[in-house]
Amino acid sequence: MLQKRLICSRISNTVLQSKPGHSQSKWRVKQVTKSNFSVALEEISTCISNSDFIAVSLKNTGAYSAPWQRILPIDTAQTAYDKAKYAAERFQVLQFAVCPFSIKGSKLIVHPYNFHLFPRDELKIGMPSYSFSCQSSYLTSMAQEGFDFNACIHDGISYLSKSQESAAIDRTGNAPITCTVQTPSGYTVADSVFAERIKSRVKLWITACKDTSKKPEDALISSLRKIVSGDEVYGSRPCLSIDVCSECQVQLVLETLKDFVDVIPLLNPAKGGTIRPVRVVLTSSEEDMILLQKELQNEEKEHNRRLRGFREVIDLISASQKPVVAHNSLNDFTFIHSKFLAPLPSTLDEFRSSLCLVFPNVLDVNHLMKEISPLTKVNNLPASNSYLKQRFFAPIDIEIPNQAEVNEVKTLGHDVVKISQLFAKLCSILKIAPRTPEDVEGHLPDAIECYTNSFNPCFTSSHGPADEDVSVWTDNTGKISIKNLVFLWGFRGVTSAGKLKSLLYGSHEVFDNEFDVRMVDKSCAVVSLRNPGFSKVLLQLLDSGGICTNTLKEMLADGLTAAGYETYQKVCELGVWEADLASSMEKALEETESFSEAQSKGLSGIRRNNDEMINLDDL
Amino acid sequence: MKKLCMSKPLSTTLIQFSHAPTTVFTTRRRALSSSSSFDIKNVTKSNFESALKDLRGLLRDADFVAVDLEMTGVTSAPWRESFDFDRYDIRYLKVKDSAEKFAVVQFGVCPFRWDSDKQSFIAHPHNFYIFPRYEIPGSNQSCEFICQTTSLDFLAKYQFDFNLCVREGISYLSRSQEEEALEHINSIYMDESSDSVFCLREDADFPLVRMADVLFAERMKNTIREWRDSLLSKGSSSSEIKQISTDPSQRFQMVFFKTRPGLALSGFTSRQLRVIKAVTKKHFKDLAYIRVAGEATSPQQLIVYTDSDDDRDLLMKEVKDGLRKEAEIKVKSAVGFRHVIDLLSSEQKLIVGHNCFLDMAHIYSKFIGPLPSTAEDYVSSIQKFFPFIIDTKILLNANGVFRQRVDKSSTSLSRAFVSICPQIALGVKTSGLADRPCVEVEVQVDEKRSSNWNSGAKHEAGYDAFMTGCIFAQACNHLGIDFTLHVLARDLAKETKLQNYINRLYLSWVSGDVIDLSTGKCTTDSSASRKLKNRYQEISFPSIILLWGLPSKLKAREIRACIVQVFGPNSVSSVYHLDESAVFIQFSKPELVSKFLEMKETLSRNSDPISVLHPLSNILNGEHTHAATYDVYRQICSSSISKKLFADQAEAVGIKRKTVSSRVKKGNQVFDQENEVRVFDEKVYDQMSPPYGYSEPDRSAESFYLDEVLASK
Repeated sequence: MLQKRLICSRISNTVLQSKPGHSQSKWRVKQVTKSNFSVALEEISTCISNSDFIAVSLKNTGAYSAPWQRILPIDTAQTAYDKAKYAAERFQVLQFAVCPFSIKGSKLIVHPYNFHLFPRDELKIGMPSYSFSCQSSYLTSMAQEGFDFNACIHDGISYLSKSQESAAIDRTGNAPITCTVQTPSGYTVADSVFAERIKSRVKLWITACKDTSKKPEDALISSLRKIVSGDEVYGSRPCLSIDVCSECQVQLVLETLKDFVDVIPLLNPAKGGTIRPVRVVLTSSEEDMILLQKELQNEEKEHNRRLRGFREVIDLISASQKPVVAHNSLNDFTFIHSKFLAPLPSTLDEFRSSLCLVFPNVLDVNHLMKEISPLTKVNNLPASNSYLKQRFFAPIDIEIPNQAEVNEVKTLGHDVVKISQLFAKLCSILKIAPRTPEDVEGHLPDAIECYTNSFNPCFTSSHGPADEDVSVWTDNTGKISIKNLVFLWGFRGVTSAGKLKSLLYGSHEVFDNEFDVRMVDKSCAVVSLRNPGFSKVLLQLLDSGGICTNTLKEMLADGLTAAGYETYQKVCELGVWEADLASSMEKALEETESFSEAQSKGLSGIRRNNDEMINLDDL
Repeated sequence: MKKLCMSKPLSTTLIQFSHAPTTVFTTRRRALSSSSSFDIKNVTKSNFESALKDLRGLLRDADFVAVDLEMTGVTSAPWRESFDFDRYDIRYLKVKDSAEKFAVVQFGVCPFRWDSDKQSFIAHPHNFYIFPRYEIPGSNQSCEFICQTTSLDFLAKYQFDFNLCVREGISYLSRSQEEEALEHINSIYMDESSDSVFCLREDADFPLVRMADVLFAERMKNTIREWRDSLLSKGSSSSEIKQISTDPSQRFQMVFFKTRPGLALSGFTSRQLRVIKAVTKKHFKDLAYIRVAGEATSPQQLIVYTDSDDDRDLLMKEVKDGLRKEAEIKVKSAVGFRHVIDLLSSEQKLIVGHNCFLDMAHIYSKFIGPLPSTAEDYVSSIQKFFPFIIDTKILLNANGVFRQRVDKSSTSLSRAFVSICPQIALGVKTSGLADRPCVEVEVQVDEKRSSNWNSGAKHEAGYDAFMTGCIFAQACNHLGIDFTLHVLARDLAKETKLQNYINRLYLSWVSGDVIDLSTGKCTTDSSASRKLKNRYQEISFPSIILLWGLPSKLKAREIRACIVQVFGPNSVSSVYHLDESAVFIQFSKPELVSKFLEMKETLSRNSDPISVLHPLSNILNGEHTHAATYDVYRQICSSSISKKLFADQAEAVGIKRKTVSSRVKKGNQVFDQENEVRVFDEKVYDQMSPPYGYSEPDRSAESFYLDEVLASK
């Protein structure tokens, strides 16, 4: 019977291998919830250490609340980060797929796992997440994929970020741990008296415990003795509880106990400000002592696992220092940083350096795609895959070992396999040797190195049906400086970029043949002008009036307002996330005005970026 | 404590009393229980239409309708919970925030009708799963809401089916959303220049850059020409048309569109369609390329033959009108669950809820429109839609008979249900209160009926609504209301014995603030906070100051000590933690507020030794410490932002100036006449304050509130 089953599973394995790519629904991704987390953690730990890369993919409860709040081509790296940060702080990760993989020639060996997360408040301390936002469309599409919300809420794995963990330890105290002794600076008389008393008490207790010649006592007497002497039992070992009344006395006890070789002190950390007694456990031999220490370590590990939950996986990935492959790395890693590491810093550079300490090598398949097709805008996974399939011959055999016991046919977590597959194809097309050389541990081949850790936005297609006007934009030379951009809003009744453009055309010298208009959302448009001087002229014109045509005057009277790119940066920096960009811009303008009134310094607070160039073709 | 001990034996005797006759009725109860275990009527997308049809009649005949809601959460941040220091306008702002941010996932509606022949009520509990999708075609707006982790856990504990809710939940549009959507459609279809939306004009000169496009365009030109020629040469038309329609891939199909011959296009890519459109436009003056809504959701592209220019214009107009009608129908169908609310509103029935101020706010914000910014505007507005609302919690607390029966702390719905309606809840017969018999309630779900129904699924909106209705019926009975009389007159809401209770809702159960919907006045229900009375003292809001961004772990006692050093021993009446980052300080006199703010400003400006050594610098030396009057608290609460920590919130709202003192004068003027609220007495407060900054009594009060809100659901 068993043999039969073995054969079966082997057959199904070969079937899987023989039809790579076509058998997407047969990719068996292991679904992990609270009930099988411990087992999966052990498994994935070995998989991570045996693989060369780790692909990750997240499913969140939402992305952006208003059309302009998604990452747009007009965003610089910093404003894109601001937007990603805003999303990461509000929405929740419900599925986290991890896939350690190796590429051996044209064979791709993947170990996909899909973890179901729920930010349950396991410790009743309002962590990891008091509340989170959801977008119904995201929930609906997750439901269509067969995601089980009930299972997620009942049985999802919780977690704490690194910073939350330290806060939680502060508040609740942790498991009993053995503690290193710090030598106190000086003893008072009272201290030495206390230490002496503890010493004699422990000595007495130890001799009493070791006294095997003792006659069996009456149960009542022994229990009375226990009460008097503070005797307890820790597991099967005798244990003594020593009352202390200050942190200083705790140190003294620890210091005193150093003299005894066969005892281990257990600290009960302060909980809510009260100091709890120190417990001393007596071990019978050296082996026993090692055993106890191991026990204690396990206990601590177990406690930590309960505390950290899913973050154990993040810690494993981080500890392996293996390159992490993602798709849309800015989005995924802002989420990872805010949920599992610490609150997101305010600038992209800080974020990058903070993340780099944990994940030194992050690769984005989108950036590799750009290498192959810098002009085409393929930025979702299926499109990228089919794009490559059409143009290149890069057969990749996918092998999913050790997953035969999984019999779910859901498609949850398949993206992570697709990412691995795409990465393998890209490596083979770009002729990058995708192996981490064994000798230079932690260093990537130079060919890949240059793609790591670039968290520049990967643009989503901004081609709305309303403002599709590509021909004009391909005439331009590509990137334009953000200094040439001016945001316009307050045009009533104008719904399309084309109409706005025709209204503006010729109304002033800045609106010559080389200006262009795009709608950012229905309330606000961005105008690109020929040179930065023009944008100054335009802003001045709208600010203080000047010579212009009647149409423009009409529009100004109707409430047309303009602001430079720095106001947009201000909007993102301050986080003025209104539903309409126009109202956000208004608020940021007010803020700037009151700020400049108070400081009479103007826009000194605005950060200048190195990458002020944005790609116009992406617009 | 003493009181608790007193009430315990009382309630046990009550239960014993109610259990006494059980033996007699055991057999009957068993016999009934087998027949009474049918499920509640669950309504989802799939059976909504039919359920709505039935509900229409049931609501029309109902004497009152009990409602209950399940939400995804209650407070969006810990400091948004209800505090004793909250003025009634703040309480409204907190409820408003909750109603705006959280989603309603279950809506229980239970119409009750008095059957004079049977002398019993007939209840029809309905449990609607709703889920906001904002299903308007063409709108890429997505509905967004917050979930409170603990609330989801709570719902999960009571077996709430989230999958059913997300997949099958009924969507809805509020009145204002519907209006907006219709207006949007109107503006598109009125605007001549936006014909492009329907592919009528643009793209005439689609550039044929790719070789494939050019070839494809040529082939299409030929095919279309053949078809048109075959149309015009009447003689041999049949065979030609046949030839096209037997095109192997079925990409062209001969159809008739509004009596005109046309070709339906299918199986083309969007790029190919654009090429076809350009070709049609360029080469065939008598053919029109149009897009109409297909049978399925996808639009259908057609090439239609027109006789003349006039005919062509007519066709275009017809197409446009058709599309417009289609869009309007889609909006109408997206109204969804709001039809139920519209029914409730139009029937002007008496609405019964349990602790339902938050519920009503949800109903308003989800199905009517954005909540007004002040409580006064809100109450006058909601009365227009729901003129008669009654809160069973008010009823239970205001009436001595019930107070006796229901332990003060257990006016949560399920406990009140057990103690008020034991014959329904436990299936036992009692003699009822006083000399009146219990009201019989018969439950009907579809064809099944039972006079002893108990699904027992508490915290399921439909069942909760049923329990609420039963409590109300029982309460009316005790008030001596003759149902039969009212059935004939259909005016239960006008009953004089109810007038003291109607349209009065608890703004906050913790404080006992009651708002009268008909007048907008807010009063404090002394009976509700009776237990806390001795611990309260009158406070006035002008003498409250708000401090946030304090050095971490600063204890309330330490803050008080610092201030007392400067302003004298009796200057501070209490210090109250909002959360770990902010405190309220109540001074004994309002003048001290401005004094404090001035001192804070001078201290923050100077850094000379005197100010460094100043006693206040202990609490104010933090870079981020801010102080403000109570008015600023209101401003912060009214913001739509919700940061977890109050200090972060204040910063996000944009109150950046270190001291908001410019408002002091105005604040004094405004709030001199504000009504006063009680607050913890300092003595009690200090005794109970725990060593690490949080004040335990405050926390317990908050969690009590939360439990209460959750439990009352």
